[in-house]
Amino acid sequence: MSAGQEPGGDLTFEEALRRLDEVVARLESGEVGLEEAVALFERGQRYLTACRERLAAAQRRIEELTAEDLPAEGPPGEEPPPPF
Amino acid sequence: VKLVGSRKVFTVEEVTAAIAGRFEDLRSFWVEAEIQDLRPSRGQVRFSLRGEHLIEASMNRVVYDRLPHRPEPGTLVHAYGRVQFWRPRSQLSMRVERLEPSGEGLLRARIEELRRRLEADGLLAPERKRQPPLLPRRVGLVTSGDGAARDDFLGNAWARFPEADVLLVDVPVQGEPAPALIARAIVHLDRRRDVDVIVVARGGGSLEDLMAFNSEPVCRAIAAAITPVVSAVGHERDVTLCDLVADVRASAPSAAAAAVLPSREALDVRLADARAAVRRGLLRARAESEGALARRAAAMARELARAERDARQDAESLSRRLGPALRRAAARAPAEAAARAAALERAARDRAVEAAVRVDRGGALLALLSPARTVARGYAIVRDAASDAVVASAAATRPGQELAIELRDGRVPARVGGGGG
Repeated sequence: MSAGQEPGGDLTFEEALRRLDEVVARLESGEVGLEEAVALFERGQRYLTACRERLAAAQRRIEELTAEDLPAEGPPGEEPPPPF
Repeated sequence: VKLVGSRKVFTVEEVTAAIAGRFEDLRSFWVEAEIQDLRPSRGQVRFSLRGEHLIEASMNRVVYDRLPHRPEPGTLVHAYGRVQFWRPRSQLSMRVERLEPSGEGLLRARIEELRRRLEADGLLAPERKRQPPLLPRRVGLVTSGDGAARDDFLGNAWARFPEADVLLVDVPVQGEPAPALIARAIVHLDRRRDVDVIVVARGGGSLEDLMAFNSEPVCRAIAAAITPVVSAVGHERDVTLCDLVADVRASAPSAAAAAVLPSREALDVRLADARAAVRRGLLRARAESEGALARRAAAMARELARAERDARQDAESLSRRLGPALRRAAARAPAEAAARAAALERAARDRAVEAAVRVDRGGALLALLSPARTVARGYAIVRDAASDAVVASAAATRPGQELAIELRDGRVPARVGGGGG
């Protein structure tokens, strides 16, 4: 990862969660100065928000397709499906 | 053959030869049987072929050893050969030339053969396995729409993560069209951007029922998928090739839910813990900083007080030592001045005496060099009477010139003679 690990909307849920765990571990190490602690706190808050937003976005849903609904072949230009 | 009275009597050898002749014309045939009691014996492998009845059989050892699938005892086989009669013991046995697994044995042989090819292509390698995401946006489920596997998976999925979003593709999971349709469903789900993980599920069944999940199309489709695939086919003990190719094997459809979805409850607890830990960490860092600051301020104040005290002590001790020193210096001053004046006086006197001596010596030297002393010894100085200039050369005179000759005790007037000549 690059030096500036800015939490962005592109993070996957588990990436955000993993970084959140890192922030917590660092904060709990007791080797952190006030300035770093503030920066960590802010980053932790952003990761938390990212995680919560993704959880909030999840909605129970079931969609059912049958074999007939599937496109017979892949879109033109793509490599053919594996041999049946 | 001999005749004993009216009776025709055969030898044993004649009988066995006659029986053997009956079997010579029998053609080779296929028989399906359970193979049992396999035992090697010299150049042969002997075994029993059992239906309800039993046929003893044997096969050439070399041919047997070269079989691509050697049958397990107790499995169903197809054996091809002829019946032959062994005359010395009147034993009937089947001479087997070809031996192939059949039924489950055949299925297992086919599975094994495909497994070897998949393995040779590197599709079973552990390093190919990918981890499904912790929280998929959407779970793709390939299973039968009316099977128990569907309900098992969905029930467990929603119990674990109530907001789970599932896209189910309803496919036949057994029968002839199943492999192609399952493969197509996997390919379709793999191409969809909103599906983060694919579950291929089927409830338990016989080996034959599960064969679609041992088929090449399904295995190749799973191997080709970029999306992680979880295989949940049959029960714990049923391992299919689909299980081997997939990224994760779940022992049953109900277990697949745990493989693809996080527990919402555990996740909420974890996030709450993280939130508390982050806050705690910040507060502790602040408290530590404040403590450190307070400790440093106190230390600094102590340091300042000590410096001030030290400075004051230094000043006092200095002034204590300076007083007597100054007083001693003051006391010493007049005596030193008198001594210096005396020294000065002495020096001046010495200098004067020295100067007087040098003047006397200079006078003596001067007197020695004076022209008067030369004149006194009989020499004369000749001067022009008018100008008083010294006449040092005869050529500088003219006749009749008035001169003055200076002698030791006075001047004598003189005139240059030889006028006219």
